[in-house]
Amino acid sequence: MPEIFVNMGQISSSKDNGILTTVGLGSCIGVTLYDEKAKVGVMGHIFLPHSRPNDADAPPGKYADTGIPAMIAEALRLGATKSRLQAKMAGGANLFPNLNLNSVSIGQQNIEAVTTLLKQHGIPIVGQDVAGNHGRKMRFFVENGVVTVTAIGKDPVEI
Amino acid sequence: MAKTVLITDDTAFMRMTLKNVIEKNGYQVVGEASDGEEAVALYKELKPDLVTMDITMPKMDGISAIKEIMKIDPQAKIIVCSAMGQKPMVIEALSAGAKDFLVKPFDAERVVESLRKIGS
Amino acid sequence: MRNMKLDFLKELANIGTGHATTALSQMLSGRLFQLVVPDAQMLPFTEAADYMGGLEQVVVGIFVVISGDVKGYMACLHPLESALVLIRLLTGEDKAEIDDMGRSALQEMGNIMVTSFLNALAKMTDLLMVPSVPGLAVDMAGAVWESILAGAEVTSKVTVIRTRFSTEGESIEGHIIFLPDDEDFNRIARKVGLGDL
Repeated sequence: MPEIFVNMGQISSSKDNGILTTVGLGSCIGVTLYDEKAKVGVMGHIFLPHSRPNDADAPPGKYADTGIPAMIAEALRLGATKSRLQAKMAGGANLFPNLNLNSVSIGQQNIEAVTTLLKQHGIPIVGQDVAGNHGRKMRFFVENGVVTVTAIGKDPVEI
Repeated sequence: MAKTVLITDDTAFMRMTLKNVIEKNGYQVVGEASDGEEAVALYKELKPDLVTMDITMPKMDGISAIKEIMKIDPQAKIIVCSAMGQKPMVIEALSAGAKDFLVKPFDAERVVESLRKIGS
Repeated sequence: MRNMKLDFLKELANIGTGHATTALSQMLSGRLFQLVVPDAQMLPFTEAADYMGGLEQVVVGIFVVISGDVKGYMACLHPLESALVLIRLLTGEDKAEIDDMGRSALQEMGNIMVTSFLNALAKMTDLLMVPSVPGLAVDMAGAVWESILAGAEVTSKVTVIRTRFSTEGESIEGHIIFLPDDEDFNRIARKVGLGDL
């Protein structure tokens, strides 16, 4: 079964089978969209909440505001129906909590941005493992929609 | 009677290292502070003969702590032990009242030399 | 122009890591540390984590904010095995994993190395560069990198300096990223007579 790795800023998809995997979610958010009936799965690895004017060439998956619409478009392209899409998310951690870089950590900003955008598009979030101070690996099995999240020193969880 | 020392550094590792060196050379470590705020509080409580002070620390940095301690006791004997060796910082620490400035990493002899010189 | 910038960063890296290695050597009772000439690459941010050898590899990351005359960020990353070697050399104890004292030792070592690096640059340029209390994370390389890049607001390219230290049969790898704000980077360049890059 092919395993597709989704790197920072990327969006990948698969139909019927395949495993979409993203490794090393720190402050980033791994988002999955799934249409169970059409067996279409899309995964994005989002880096920051809002796109910047000086980064116009950025891949759409880099920022939440361009990434979520791009992921929805990709799902539809593979034959999904928007009203059947369900989302799961993982990540948004703060690995350096003692540094106080922002009043609200980037991880938290990402969680809020992705949650808001999915809500705006009417896509329910049916599973999540977010925040905390540790990195995560997320695997999405398109055949049945199962998403597992692993972290160092912790047992894998299904979300 | 052995001279008493208060150690201030935000890393446990450094406090342990300094404590070993200081105690091996006949001084008594009476307190350990992990930030400037704690150092000031412990100074008031313990009135140590000597203080070692880091600069880069959370809550209250070393320079501020030096100023606060000098207010409490203008005769305080504070030795800075910091990785930060840039000239403006050294000048600021000495102007605030520190008696010596050791740049990390330093060897044991240098620490003891400073304690003896400043302590007398 | 980009080459000149990279060359200049390599030179800063040379000087900075040279001083940091001296500091490391002194911290370890004068052990001889051989520094493999640092290799600097300017990479798209998506490749930075991979450059170190795999997104899932466990690394120790030390991250500081720089303030003063130069503002920006600096980070130092070591693969877990190198970190364990460092802890053994620093504490004299051989442990299979990183415990609280190990973390503390690494944080202090990171602090000394980053500050030595900045002290060297400061001396060269007469610009004050003050590092914050360091943050330390032990986690998957991908997660540590992206947290550093997001925290430092890097959105395009990042220069990574790859160094290797060897001492008496032990090999220690480290990656340093030095991220001054663009304006401040030009200040540094101007101070050493290079003009804006």
